[in-house]
Amino acid sequence: MVRARLLLKDSPQPPKVPDSLRVSRFALLAPIPSVAMPEFSDLDQLLKALSEGDREVFTRVFELLWDPILRLCVRLMGERDGADVAQSSMLSILERANEYDWHRPALPWALAIATWQCRTQLKRTERLRETTDEKPNESDGGAAAEEQEQRVLLNAAMEAMGTLSETDQQTLIATYWETASSVSGATLRKRRARALGRLRDAFRRLYGLD
Amino acid sequence: MDSIDLARLSREARSRYERARLGLSVAGAAPVLFVVAAAAVLGKRPSSVAFFGGLLFVTGVVLLWRGRDLRLALWPGVLTGLIPLAFALIANFGHGCSGDHCSSLCVPACTAGGVTAGVVVSVIATRLKLGWRFWLSASAVSMLTGAMGCACVGYSGVLALVGGFAVGLTPQVARRVFASR
Repeated sequence: MVRARLLLKDSPQPPKVPDSLRVSRFALLAPIPSVAMPEFSDLDQLLKALSEGDREVFTRVFELLWDPILRLCVRLMGERDGADVAQSSMLSILERANEYDWHRPALPWALAIATWQCRTQLKRTERLRETTDEKPNESDGGAAAEEQEQRVLLNAAMEAMGTLSETDQQTLIATYWETASSVSGATLRKRRARALGRLRDAFRRLYGLD
Repeated sequence: MDSIDLARLSREARSRYERARLGLSVAGAAPVLFVVAAAAVLGKRPSSVAFFGGLLFVTGVVLLWRGRDLRLALWPGVLTGLIPLAFALIANFGHGCSGDHCSSLCVPACTAGGVTAGVVVSVIATRLKLGWRFWLSASAVSMLTGAMGCACVGYSGVLALVGGFAVGLTPQVARRVFASR
């Protein structure tokens, strides 16, 4: 199975991202291990039913969403914070289930909400770190520093993603997770290319990267 | 991650879902209050309008909150209920006299409005192939809307509305019952 890679070129002079990260790729955009995904057409139908008030499908929707949301959050936030953010994401997604637009695929919609939650949490963590002026621990061979750098980079990527339209965000998320999209074929490729272009533009605008 | 209590998380998510749904339902049913306000201004009995209007609003919120067929019943019910309501409000401005005896036109207006509303509700339900839940809830909403005006001569007006509505529903109900046999 070919995994989609969304690559951004490195820059010689990034103003905000640490120098050590110039050769890194976005953690968010790195390839992920192959995983079994739920039947998304089922999820679309079930979430549509839930948005119309069919309570019988609630548990099934919860079960179908939990694994992808948890994996996304752990991937973005790490083991420690990922589970907590996954839980708050599930609450947020199911709270907004009534607003689900059933013309759009359900999983990218849910993952976009979870991504937003992760972004918010990352910002909060970053702000807390700035106020407490936490220094990375050098005794662990630089692992903590690397983790912090990854977090900074991830935060930057999420910031750039946050400036895109909801459709662009969902297209990129659907591409990354290889989930069903509302469109396919040439339309999907064009939409993906445009979304990627806008992501690059946003990143360049925010951080001066090419 | 082993410590995540999914059952508790699911319960909390369900509770959030219900609360959000209730909030949306209150917002969704709020336009009904404009109809209630108009009926209170134009009608003769504000207390009856407040009683039936309050019931109408609560019924609307419950229908939208429960969802499925029930949520579809609110606006067809309100719109068809406007027929007897308008008839009754117009009838308030006149009366009929024969010889020495004069009487309000409210009761005949409510009967005629009820029949019309009943026919319209049953035709909508039949055309859209909706179930009994829709029939019952749309009928209740329609009658509550009409009752705000039909209380013009006390509860006899409301009874006339209900009777007329039942007559209006009868042809399609009979057709449906016989078709299912």
